[in-house]
Amino acid sequence: MLKMNNISRIYQNDTIQTHALRDFSLNVKAGEFVAVTGPSGSGKSTFLNVAGLLDHFDGGQYELDGVSVQGLKDDELSRLRNEKLGFIFQNYNLIPDYSIFDNVDMPLRYRGFSARERKRRVEEALEKVGLASRLKYLPSQLSGGQQQRVAIARALAGEPKILLADEPTGNLDSLMARQVMEILHDLNKDGATIIMVTHDPDQAREVSRNVQVIDGQLADFKIYAPLDRTAGNTGKSVSISAAVEEEMADA
Amino acid sequence: MNFTRLNVKGLIKSLLLRKFTTGLLILQLAITLGLLVNSAILALDTREKISQPTGLDDENILLVSTHPTSGAYRDLDYFRSIVNEDLAKLNQLVGVNSVSITNQLPIRSRGMLSNTHDIDHPDQEKNDKYLKDVKYIIAEEHLAEAMGFTILEGRFLNENDQLDFDSEAKNNIVITESLAKALYGGESAVGHETNNGHIIGVIKDIMLDPTLPRDKQYGLFINTMMKYIFVGRYYVLNVEPGQMAKVRSQVSDTILAVQPERDIFKVFTLAEHLKGFYRDDQGLSDLFLLLCGLMIFVTAISSYAYSQFHISRQKKYIGIRRALGARKKDILLYVLTENWLVYSIGCLLGLGVALAFNILLSQYISLSKPDMMLFLLASAVIFVSGTLATWIPAVQTSNIPPVIATRTV
Amino acid sequence: MRSNSMFAYNLSLALKSFKQAPSLYFLVILTLSIGVGLLCANLALVNSMTSDPIPEKSGQLFHVSMNTWPNDQPQAEPFHILRYREAMKISSSDIPKNSAVFYASGVYARDSASTSLKRFDSSVRATTPGFFALTNAPFAYGSGFAKSSGMEVVIGNELNQKIFAGENSVGKVLELDGELLTIVGVLKPWHLRPLFYHATEGRAFNLTDDIYAPLETSIDLGWSIHARSSSTVSYQGVKFTRDRNVFYLQAWVELENSAQQQAFQYYLDNYSQSLKDAGEHPLAILNELRDVNAWLLEQNIVDQNVLAFTFASVLFLCVCVFNASSLLLSRFHSAKFEVGLRRAIGASNKDMLVQGITESALLGIVAGLLSLLLSWFFLKLSIKFLPDLENLAVLDPKLLMLGMALALVTAIASALYPLYRANRYTISAELK
Repeated sequence: MLKMNNISRIYQNDTIQTHALRDFSLNVKAGEFVAVTGPSGSGKSTFLNVAGLLDHFDGGQYELDGVSVQGLKDDELSRLRNEKLGFIFQNYNLIPDYSIFDNVDMPLRYRGFSARERKRRVEEALEKVGLASRLKYLPSQLSGGQQQRVAIARALAGEPKILLADEPTGNLDSLMARQVMEILHDLNKDGATIIMVTHDPDQAREVSRNVQVIDGQLADFKIYAPLDRTAGNTGKSVSISAAVEEEMADA
Repeated sequence: MNFTRLNVKGLIKSLLLRKFTTGLLILQLAITLGLLVNSAILALDTREKISQPTGLDDENILLVSTHPTSGAYRDLDYFRSIVNEDLAKLNQLVGVNSVSITNQLPIRSRGMLSNTHDIDHPDQEKNDKYLKDVKYIIAEEHLAEAMGFTILEGRFLNENDQLDFDSEAKNNIVITESLAKALYGGESAVGHETNNGHIIGVIKDIMLDPTLPRDKQYGLFINTMMKYIFVGRYYVLNVEPGQMAKVRSQVSDTILAVQPERDIFKVFTLAEHLKGFYRDDQGLSDLFLLLCGLMIFVTAISSYAYSQFHISRQKKYIGIRRALGARKKDILLYVLTENWLVYSIGCLLGLGVALAFNILLSQYISLSKPDMMLFLLASAVIFVSGTLATWIPAVQTSNIPPVIATRTV
Repeated sequence: MRSNSMFAYNLSLALKSFKQAPSLYFLVILTLSIGVGLLCANLALVNSMTSDPIPEKSGQLFHVSMNTWPNDQPQAEPFHILRYREAMKISSSDIPKNSAVFYASGVYARDSASTSLKRFDSSVRATTPGFFALTNAPFAYGSGFAKSSGMEVVIGNELNQKIFAGENSVGKVLELDGELLTIVGVLKPWHLRPLFYHATEGRAFNLTDDIYAPLETSIDLGWSIHARSSSTVSYQGVKFTRDRNVFYLQAWVELENSAQQQAFQYYLDNYSQSLKDAGEHPLAILNELRDVNAWLLEQNIVDQNVLAFTFASVLFLCVCVFNASSLLLSRFHSAKFEVGLRRAIGASNKDMLVQGITESALLGIVAGLLSLLLSWFFLKLSIKFLPDLENLAVLDPKLLMLGMALALVTAIASALYPLYRANRYTISAELK
């Protein structure tokens, strides 16, 4: 589903070169729920930006759902983001002037769906996150957790191949964080591939696979003792051990 | 362009959130449009005035206004002899068809006027006030040729119409078509007697006074130029087509060679005379166009500043849109549509301003009513100039990188 | 002392702010000064057209209009031009302190002693001697002529410059259309805006005349009438007008109080009655005295084109103010972090306001200076498009002040809303 091979990303100013990612390789299979952890400044944000096609990279190969992304034009990247990726941001990134409906609707417009199709998808996506009754609300009228759920609905509405979540619970209190995580796990259970950047080891431990970024590299990986919920997931896609093996081979 | 990619309702909402700046820009646009429409009206009106037919061969008639400077001309016999020599010498110039002299030119308001009525019907003047101010043109026999009048009835003045200077007899006169109609209706005017003389001919109307209605171009011609030689301020030269420049360069020297103690104020064609008559209209219309230019410039700056300001506040949201799959051109279209929406509101409001300004202006100057075509044209100008002004900020906006979406600040 | 140093501090902040966004402030100043300059140029024209040309006694000078048309051709309104006989009746009255009866003419003039034959086209005021005292004509040399006849003239400054290079030319002899007349007086530069004594026939903004000649002499010399005349008979030149129904003379009288005014009105009406009794005055008696301002108002001398354009330039100034306001709004918005910071370290709302106003006042002053330059330029430009206004295009100090004030007011007005907005940004929001 997502294959990164020896990706490097270098930030350069007048005097200093910073390797935000170096020889970064990762392979994510369909149906995986991957948690990316690492200390701040380790490059995990850069990884997410590159993975989400928000930022370019300076070397290596990146294949997203069978499409090799290096050398693609800006418009093609936009299309890929629109069709294959769903973003969930730490601070939700809802447009404050737009209603809930319009927020979820926005990426669908760029997809060129008909009004009826958009309406169907928006309602369905909001249904999934339990906010179908709040179509007309403005983001400011919702709690943080609800806002994040709207953002998840927005990410889902386009039926993406991969959900990218950047500290999705970073701005939420634990109760709301719990709700959001439940939804992500439910989605994963239904087959969604999710990559989540987080600094919360508990959340990392809950998921099927955990990778750590240190100094721009995939430093190490640990498999925490899987919590009971992940057990149900194994049958669906690849077994954990297989994934590990593959990781070894790639490295 | 695919407008389904835009959420117009959302656009309007976000405009409303910037009430003040948007309101200011809309007001500016409306005022600019109002001025634009009315300036265009002024310009078109002026153009129409200048291009209306005078009934004369404007381009091939050369006029010279002159006046003697020496006391010697107080001897009228001397004055006459000089004028006759002037006329003869001007006639000899290559390219000159005919030369004459007159006390006043067509295409002028007021001038020398006389009340005119049929000798037996003085009350005609009570029914038609224009009969009180009939142009009284002191002429001589060659004026018809020089001006290129069309004789409709009878004949133009000839040498025999010039009476002895102390004669008490009635003069013969030639009148314009509209005067003939006013005095005698459909009947032939020739042979009738007026308070100003005996009618021997009728010429086709020419534009004597543009401020009067077209059918009130009353004028009469009388052959008393030699008697009142001191009123002969204008020489009229009928010039062969294509010879104008050459003739024009020679007239002053020709006249001064006859006798140098003369002031030659101006040598000009009838076409220039017509333009001169509308000089103030032209000047005002030019001033208004200049003001339009300035106003469009200022409004363009505002449109630019407005987009720039708006974008600086929206950077983050543009980034989010990009992250969620908007292409650069989607963003470009988004920004431009937002501006077009503002322009549309401005133009609609401008329709009102244009009407109000038109009413206000018409208290001071005469101008036509605005029409829809002009309004649409002016709106197009607003749209084009506004789009040009906002092009750079719009492109800048579309270049906002999607990665901004993941920055927390 | 504190306020002083605070002012200096605010000033330095303003300068710093200008330096941070020079092109934006340049645009603000440019648009404001174009707007103010254009309006000022138009107001200068309107001001010239509506000002009182002789404020010291405009209420005591009266134009005389009479209705003495000899037949019953309906001449509904009293005529501003009079026959010689009425004019003489007016000059012979001893009710007015001064009176002047005149017509406009033109001659060619040269210094009779000069070897050059070059003659200057000169406008002539053929008048009775009372003209000079009535109009307060300013003499540089000599004085007016004492009688309505005699081969004497007074000349204006401009002609004196042209023929005698501005020297005292009293006693010199001019050749005017072949006649020799002696100069008895030379005027200083004399600007009458409007030219109240001859405000008809679109001449209200002509210059004062080149030559002032005695009325009877001018008539005798046959100097033709260069203004409106009207007659019931044909006549061969001005020489023959004294005893005919030729209307061409304008009359002004100086009446110092309302008693004199009434007496003079009575005098005129009495005269008309005597004409009526003699069967020479078929129409109703209608004689009018109008003082300078009333007369100018009645003549509608204010150029309608200029008024129309003035309205347009008011609208333009509005657009300029709106423009400046939106520019400043974006400027203050981008500086809001700094505002937040200043507020956080203890600047009060009022301090911020004073600072903002200092900044906009400074803007206004710069824009004002520029607008003075621009209004001069626009004035020249207007004259290019409307050449008839040439003699009106004067920027007097009053207008310069107005221009400065307008620039200041518009600059501060443009900044008001942006300032209000800037001060509403909460401290915490900006410093988070």
